[in-house]
Amino acid sequence: MIKAEHIYKNFGSNHVLKDVSLEVKKGEVVVIIGPSGSGKSTFLRCINLLEVPTKGRVEIDDQDLTKLKPKQVVKVREKVGMVFQHFYLFPHKTVLDNLIYAPMKVKGLSKDQAVARARNLLEKVGLSEKEDQYPSRLSGGQQQRVAIARSLAMEPDYMLFDEPTSALDPEMVKEVLDVIQSLAETGMTMIIVTHEMGFAKSVANKVVFMDDGQILESASPSDFFASPETDRAKNFLEKIL
Amino acid sequence: MDFLIQLFEGFKTIAPSIPYIINGVWVSLGIALGASLIGFVGGILLSLCKIGRVRVLSGLARAYTSIFRGTPLILQLAIAYFGIPQLFKMGDVSPLACAILTFGLNSAAYMSEIIRSGINAVDKGQFEAAKALGVSYWPAMKDIILPQAIKNILPAMMNEFITLTKDSAIVSTISVTDMMRRSQIVAANYYLYFPPMLVSFVMYYIIVLILTFVGGRIERRMRRSD
Repeated sequence: MIKAEHIYKNFGSNHVLKDVSLEVKKGEVVVIIGPSGSGKSTFLRCINLLEVPTKGRVEIDDQDLTKLKPKQVVKVREKVGMVFQHFYLFPHKTVLDNLIYAPMKVKGLSKDQAVARARNLLEKVGLSEKEDQYPSRLSGGQQQRVAIARSLAMEPDYMLFDEPTSALDPEMVKEVLDVIQSLAETGMTMIIVTHEMGFAKSVANKVVFMDDGQILESASPSDFFASPETDRAKNFLEKIL
Repeated sequence: MDFLIQLFEGFKTIAPSIPYIINGVWVSLGIALGASLIGFVGGILLSLCKIGRVRVLSGLARAYTSIFRGTPLILQLAIAYFGIPQLFKMGDVSPLACAILTFGLNSAAYMSEIIRSGINAVDKGQFEAAKALGVSYWPAMKDIILPQAIKNILPAMMNEFITLTKDSAIVSTISVTDMMRRSQIVAANYYLYFPPMLVSFVMYYIIVLILTFVGGRIERRMRRSD
């Protein structure tokens, strides 16, 4: 279970998160939506401590990350995969090497084990024939699917998606969303920040609406999209739908 | 036209000594190679200190760079060869070893700035992606950041090597028999200056052309992943 309690985050005098709390149970898919600059991504990054909260607690499986030493935080991160808007594949490594690097380095897998696992995952994301390519030779959608496979190669218990399709050309959005959707169907616990409302509706167990560094609404997708409670959520949905 | 005949006669006179001068190129290249190895390793260490969070180390690294870049190399060389051995009563020191070490330490200062800018130019997301995969700082630096940084700065590092090769001529001042020194020796022997200097001149330039060409090849090979 992921539990974030009363998270505050300031960048200098800029208060990006103001008392944000969220609980994500095993197997749940939570989608966070909201206008740009509402703190969604920062909140997501607080969960695996890529950003250290100014105040508040982050618990993963009852372990308070904010109290851990840096070395232990690294350990916890193995359990939490993250997919970024801009993929961040390692450009000097081939697709296969991208996938086997962390499992070998961090989990101590043998090369054979890591390669077997990587090939299996590449097949799942439909990119088996690309294993020897360098990332720059792939399309954005393909790169993002590799990035997802790279995260999964660590066999995480949780996955965080930070606007996984925002940097993609429109025709590549679906192939990435399909991969995430099928991942959700395997029961993976996920938090997804996205602007894809149709996708949010179909994949989420819970939709969280953030604005101005706060969570304003938290509801089932059917309730939220049919009848948002706050004016700001209504306003937001009107603008984008 | 008198001077052309004189020049031709000059070359004829020093002809037996031309191979001696040319073979000095190995000394020059050896110094540049040894120094750039020291400079590369030292430069990486210094640059890691500079970008690290340990205040004392980054301060020391900055001071080191400032001093080595802020004083003439020929003076550093003189201090290392004449000054320090006398002060510490070290007796005779090898001029070649002294030259390589001094050039290496000097080059480390320049190299550290090149490498530091290379590291800073790597997208911060690369570090975050590694972190998110559970990779800790040093392995991420060694396997993910540095290879990308070094690829970006390869042309600058090749320039540094070329500069070292040319600047190595000043080791002639501490009696290392490099190409420059050999030209001077030959010149003094025959009391003929232009021909032996021209031999060195052309050789240095050829070496630099070759290095530039090799640098371009390496760079292109490294671009495979782009």
